[in-house]
Amino acid sequence: MSNIPDRINVEKGERDNLYDKIELFKGKSRKEQFLFAMAIGFKNKVKRRLETTDGFFLIKDMRLEDEVLINAIAINDFNSVEVLSNKEDVFKIAEEYAHAGIKLLYDKMKSTQFGSFEKQFEKDIIDAYKELNLGEYGEKNTSS
Amino acid sequence: MKIDKIILKNYRQFKDAEISFKEKSNFDLHVIIGKNGTGKTNILSAINWCLYGDEPNLSKDSRQLPLLNLKSMEEGDYGEDKEIMVEVWGKTLNNKFVIFTRKTIYNIYESGKNLPTRISSEFEVKVTDNKGNTEIFKDEESESQVERFVPKRIREFFFFDGERLDNYFKEATGQNIRHAIFEISQIDLLENRVESRLSDTLKDLRREAGKENPEIEDTRSQLETNEKQLKEFDEQIKECNKQIALAKDKIKDYDEKLRGIPDIEAVEVRRDEIKTLKQQKKELLDEKLKEKENLLFEYGKVVMLYSPIKQSIKIIEEKRKKGELPPTQDKSLLENMVKEKSCLICGRPFDADVKKRVEDLLKEIKLSSEVAKQLEYMEGPLHNFEDKVMNFNNIMQKITKEVKGYEDDLADYEQELIKIDAETSGYNSEKIKDWHKERKKFEDSFTQNLQKLGGIDGKRKDILKNIENLKGQLDDELKKEKKVKKLKNQIDFCTKALNVVKKTKEIIMSETRKKIEDRTKDIFFGLLWKKATFKDVKIEEDYSINLIHSLGYECLGSVSAGERELLALSFTLALHEVSGFDSPILIDTPVARISDEHRVNFGKIFSEVSSNKQTILLFTPAEYSKDIKELLDVRASNRFALKLSSDEKETRVEVL
Repeated sequence: MSNIPDRINVEKGERDNLYDKIELFKGKSRKEQFLFAMAIGFKNKVKRRLETTDGFFLIKDMRLEDEVLINAIAINDFNSVEVLSNKEDVFKIAEEYAHAGIKLLYDKMKSTQFGSFEKQFEKDIIDAYKELNLGEYGEKNTSS
Repeated sequence: MKIDKIILKNYRQFKDAEISFKEKSNFDLHVIIGKNGTGKTNILSAINWCLYGDEPNLSKDSRQLPLLNLKSMEEGDYGEDKEIMVEVWGKTLNNKFVIFTRKTIYNIYESGKNLPTRISSEFEVKVTDNKGNTEIFKDEESESQVERFVPKRIREFFFFDGERLDNYFKEATGQNIRHAIFEISQIDLLENRVESRLSDTLKDLRREAGKENPEIEDTRSQLETNEKQLKEFDEQIKECNKQIALAKDKIKDYDEKLRGIPDIEAVEVRRDEIKTLKQQKKELLDEKLKEKENLLFEYGKVVMLYSPIKQSIKIIEEKRKKGELPPTQDKSLLENMVKEKSCLICGRPFDADVKKRVEDLLKEIKLSSEVAKQLEYMEGPLHNFEDKVMNFNNIMQKITKEVKGYEDDLADYEQELIKIDAETSGYNSEKIKDWHKERKKFEDSFTQNLQKLGGIDGKRKDILKNIENLKGQLDDELKKEKKVKKLKNQIDFCTKALNVVKKTKEIIMSETRKKIEDRTKDIFFGLLWKKATFKDVKIEEDYSINLIHSLGYECLGSVSAGERELLALSFTLALHEVSGFDSPILIDTPVARISDEHRVNFGKIFSEVSSNKQTILLFTPAEYSKDIKELLDVRASNRFALKLSSDEKETRVEVL
């Protein structure tokens, strides 16, 4: 059995240079910021290994549902539920997606015009929802 | 009497001028044309100054200008006396020649330092009969000669500004007409000389009677106090009515001024309200946008992770189907038992057979207890996430609709602000606000005076009742007291006489009103260019004038300026006739307020009037338009042009 990490890490300097530069993250906890960056990375199917590590928040601050999302990504990535028995791997996967996701988000923010990032952000989420091909009321659209 | 000529020397713009009004055609019509500032209105002033010694038609500013001609003043030496003279030459119906002469001597000081000082003034009237006998009247006698021509109190109906015609029925109609009829009827003679004298005599007689009997004295004193109070109430009512009429006129004036102009103060209040509402809505929108952003953030990650969420749910469901979940055996316990070769529950050591069976069992268990436990924990939140994604569209639609609602409201407010700005741009806000304030002031005055009037009227009725009772009481007391029998007879006589005077006054006023009404109607319909539009002109008992449309309704308020002016002119001519003073009519700027289409009609009307009455009209060149010129040039007995000298200090009168 692997050692259970006590914290989630990000790349060194990422906190100041990326996380704190994103307007959308203002007022959000580190955990929320991380999970969102992780989701972006996963959605874009890109993850990056962390060269260095810097503790971002403590695992104990996570709620069950936060951990569920991380677990779901790990299951998907390993294509096996057994990954759950190795928390080190589970969190590592999450960190790698977040590492890639935060960069993507930051780059997107930089490339959009001032004031239009929020609109772009909304559009991306709506597009992501549409890609799920769920019906108007959230039911799976079987015709397409 | 007609005016034969006017001679002006050193009077305002006129250093030396003579204007002759001899009748040379069938129309006793005389036209004077002058640009503004050439002294046109000063001809009207000169007549007033000559006859009455004042210039009521001049503005306060104009009155402050020196009466002495500026050129004459410049030419004069320091300390020299200069004479201003205006003569009005007239001819009466019985062929008497009358010359009114007013002279004033001014002493000139050094130019530019002081205004000339009036040294002396004199007025005389020279009357020459058809046999050549001349009489000269001075002082009071000369004034009474003027009264025979046009009495001072009614001159405003003979010499006036054309604007008066337009305003006549717009301003305090009833009061104006009552005043006119009162003056024309000369009831003031009856009121001032007979009625007041009888009243004084009656009071004296009652006082005499009071000396004989204390009860009579007490009642008399009460009666006198009540009568005095009644008089005070009547004065107050008169004043209230005056203020009400004034307020009504002013309100109308301001309504006219403010027509089509926004109520800036109200608009500004509305603007502030909208700005506040806009700010509140903006704050709500910002909150809603933040809420939407938070929802997007919260739901966004779940949406993006929907596929692993679904995948995990699927795996868990499959494992349940296969019976792997929940776990029936504890894999790690079995692993430890194999390791320890004994049962960790009962402590019995494993033989080879048991060991093999446990090892086989372990091979069948695919999920570790830890993983299975985690999967079980995950199941609930995963379904919650799934529900969240399913609800995402609804929630986003709802909040997007709310945001749009706020944005639409904001856009509406913005539009309204733009509209207000457009409405108010180009207006002098301060001036408009002042007009509204002034209008409000008169509106308040109107309401207050109306309320006051109601109050006074009630008290007046009580006093009247008291007076009647006291009169009855006094009469009884006088009857009882034998000592005052003679006095009682005198008092009775005076009372009856006073009643007769009052009744006579009412009859004269009523008859005069009727005569003026009839003549106004005749003249109006005789001169009117639209014969079928109206059917009647009425002067009501409250002295308000009404023009009745052919369809039967009262329409004075809605007729054109031309029609209103014609009615005023007809009324004025009727007053002339009824007054018995056959004097000329002199109108300054007669068609200033008349629209182009009706000017020719007025030209015709003035021609027609001038066939029976001397008519002197003072036009500006703009007023004397081509159409009017074509009409009046051939009819007028005399036409004059007023030309200002290049140094603008003297006006010459040119015969056209």
